[in-house]
Amino acid sequence: MNLWQQAMRAAGAILALYTLLCCVALAVADPSGEAKMEQFFDQDDHTNNWAVLVCTSRFWFNYRHISNTLSMYRTVKRMGIPDSHIILMLADDVACNPRNSYPAAVYDHPRKATDLYGDNVEVDYRGYEVTVENFIRLLTGRVSVDTPRSKRLLTDDKSNVFIYMTGHGGEDFLKFQDSEEINSYDIADAFQQMWEKKRYKEILFVIDTCQANTMFSKFYSPNILSIGSSRKGENSYSYFHDYDLGVSVIDRFTYYNLEFFESVDMSSKRTMADLVGAYNTTLIYSHPGVRTDLYSRKLNETYLTDFFGAVQNIELTTEAFPIGQPESP
Amino acid sequence: MPLPAKLRVFFKRRNEPKTVISVHSERIVVLVSILLVLLLGLPLWWSTTRVYRAELPAEDIAKFKPIDPLHIPFVFYIDTNMSITVDSINKIEKSAGLLIDKQRALYAPNEWSVRYQASVCQGAAPKIPGHYTLSIHEASDASVSVDIAVGRMATVSVPKTAAIEPVLAQLISTMVAKEEQEVRRRRPGSRKSSGEAAQKHSDRALKYSAEYAVTFTLLNEDPVDGVSVDWDIEQAVSQYIQPFVDALRPLTKLTITSQVLHHAGSPPIKPQRASNYTYLSSDMLTHFVNSPSWNLASTDPISPMLNFMLYVPSLESQPMHIIQGDAHKQLRTNAFLVSQWGGITIANLPKDTIPGSHIVFSQAQMQEYMGAFIAQLREHIGIRRDVPLARKGTPLIKNIRVRQATATGISDWELDALLRQWLVDNRETAITTLQSLTRLVDSMQNMVVMDEIKAKVDQSLFELGAIEGALNAFDPSNAPVTDHLKACQNAAMASTLAESAFFDPSMVSMLYFPDQHKYAIYLPFFLPVALPLLTAIKRVINARKQAARNSKDTKKTKDE
Repeated sequence: MNLWQQAMRAAGAILALYTLLCCVALAVADPSGEAKMEQFFDQDDHTNNWAVLVCTSRFWFNYRHISNTLSMYRTVKRMGIPDSHIILMLADDVACNPRNSYPAAVYDHPRKATDLYGDNVEVDYRGYEVTVENFIRLLTGRVSVDTPRSKRLLTDDKSNVFIYMTGHGGEDFLKFQDSEEINSYDIADAFQQMWEKKRYKEILFVIDTCQANTMFSKFYSPNILSIGSSRKGENSYSYFHDYDLGVSVIDRFTYYNLEFFESVDMSSKRTMADLVGAYNTTLIYSHPGVRTDLYSRKLNETYLTDFFGAVQNIELTTEAFPIGQPESP
Repeated sequence: MPLPAKLRVFFKRRNEPKTVISVHSERIVVLVSILLVLLLGLPLWWSTTRVYRAELPAEDIAKFKPIDPLHIPFVFYIDTNMSITVDSINKIEKSAGLLIDKQRALYAPNEWSVRYQASVCQGAAPKIPGHYTLSIHEASDASVSVDIAVGRMATVSVPKTAAIEPVLAQLISTMVAKEEQEVRRRRPGSRKSSGEAAQKHSDRALKYSAEYAVTFTLLNEDPVDGVSVDWDIEQAVSQYIQPFVDALRPLTKLTITSQVLHHAGSPPIKPQRASNYTYLSSDMLTHFVNSPSWNLASTDPISPMLNFMLYVPSLESQPMHIIQGDAHKQLRTNAFLVSQWGGITIANLPKDTIPGSHIVFSQAQMQEYMGAFIAQLREHIGIRRDVPLARKGTPLIKNIRVRQATATGISDWELDALLRQWLVDNRETAITTLQSLTRLVDSMQNMVVMDEIKAKVDQSLFELGAIEGALNAFDPSNAPVTDHLKACQNAAMASTLAESAFFDPSMVSMLYFPDQHKYAIYLPFFLPVALPLLTAIKRVINARKQAARNSKDTKKTKDE
């Protein structure tokens, strides 16, 4: 089997060379940060806010991922983003699961004080519609012509977009419904396509999954602020176990984020720096990561309401147009 | 079961010592298999897994550079019964040109440049956007005055003692240069040079779209303890809104819908109470729209939406006023504009309204509300104020009067300024979109590029090329002809095509696959094929070596 060994050795060498070439090509293709910096807009106000909230898990035992997402949904809605500007992707409705001993309700705390499912939840993509392809199409705007308005991300160059993802993941990937996965490169490329077509002003990317910080490590487009729940090689842990339901009801990272948001309302002047400063690794059990090198503003000058609120610039109409009136001589 | 005769022969042969013939046929089988794999298998594999990528005309797209200006000529026709020579017309054109150039600020390196020009002819202008008549009369008093009509016409009164040329040169250059500055200021690429007011303005105006969905909503906060309301919206729209819609029809389509929301509920803010009225201060208005409970959804999938709302507060908070500033001054229109969203007018009912009655807003009553809506609609569409001239005079021109188009809501001058804005914006959008597209396709080698995409890109380029043709033409008598409307339509078409190419659903079919995935997919296919092939090749080589050695040996023995 001399020849076989030789063949394998040759294949190995080719593989190694190929990998090396790929690395070199990537390094060459990656434009320098300085060139990117020039493209930043000067920091004037955005005019609209959007939120994309994605839960990628199915099945009853992933109850906590559904409640993570619904808690975020509740928060952005409370802060003033209208349903028309929230895209909620929820793979599974645990509210109506036969195992749910509290039918039509989802709770994020064993105390069961607030029903997240509430009276007004507008799920835009549900069940098997939550796929990698639909998510990428949503971000890049490449949806088919018959897609309704509620399933489109109609952002422009003055939109601040908050993207929240949760589910099961690993290094550089996030599983969608146990059947496919999205790669960190896919998201990075989708953001670049959005940037190319001026589909956002700033993005806040928050992800709660295992090894979450790897998911934003491949981003290369400007004006993106990313926060992840755990380092590479680290798990993200769940919080409260509910013995009535038999499952954990929320993840630690999301829970502590929400706890912080309880003290924030529409007119709050708290900043991203306050949020990030409030992360306590001994409570979260993992090391949340923040990536700011693509982001042009300082964290302590970025108000939470820039991403979680909804701005409405108004102007008084001082003079009505004299429509239908006879022209003065 | 006994084996078929042929197979038996085959198995038998394996144990027999190899004859020359059997070695020969084995070699042929191996060679044929190798050739089959190389000539048929590999091309088949390549062609079935290859990503189809139509060649985009990258060079034609890269040809457009921000530094190359788009020339937009204006043609002014001087219509007068006073004596004016060809010489002085040339003089007007020349000095107007110089004045326009003088007022042009430097362009930033990546700002898409436009260059407005003016040419001057004699006679009456044809009714095409871009051609304007200046009718010169002798003034009765000693000052120069300009009266700008709703149509593409201005009447200039010049006193007998004044020279016509400098007055006209100043008038023309002020109009043209002012618009060039406005157009530049309004565009997203040139934010840095913009003043704060212009910035605000550009935030209000929506981006160009071939269609806007306009919804008029009558909102009744509380009909239970109050009154039930209705409105004559159809008549009001046909009377006050439809002429505006028709005037804009060559550029964009405004689809009008209306609805009445009863039992709508209050806004999220509580109005303040004064002695006999309630009021909202302007900082409260930012949270006025109750988006969770007011159903303002549209069935239109992509057109930008504009909401215009007539809000009837509950009887207990009537009358409700909007307060301006600290001095508690009531806003006369009782209306405000919400940027990128629409406008709201608060309607107060007559003082003697009794609960439980039914009130219908007649067409005549709605004239005032519709006036406010038109004013807001104009802001959203992007119609500038003071077009073509501000009312304050210039050194040579004392009185300027600009007539408002009270019949349609938009004068021809405003319409033309709007279409030139959209021309410049859409041209830039089309070019930058095409350039983004080629960059993207270059950087993502996995991306499929269908022939339809290429067709759209080609068509978009064609429309872009047609813009310059529409702008700079000459009629048979060699007078300059320019069609701003046609150019604007070309630009709009170009940008629509470019965007539809960029956002084509087929452009995402292939995404990033890591190399490990490729190995994992192909190894199970190719290993079973490759192993027997490799062993067969090895055997053939060994046999050849053996044969060579044998022949050497025989040669040696022969030599000995």
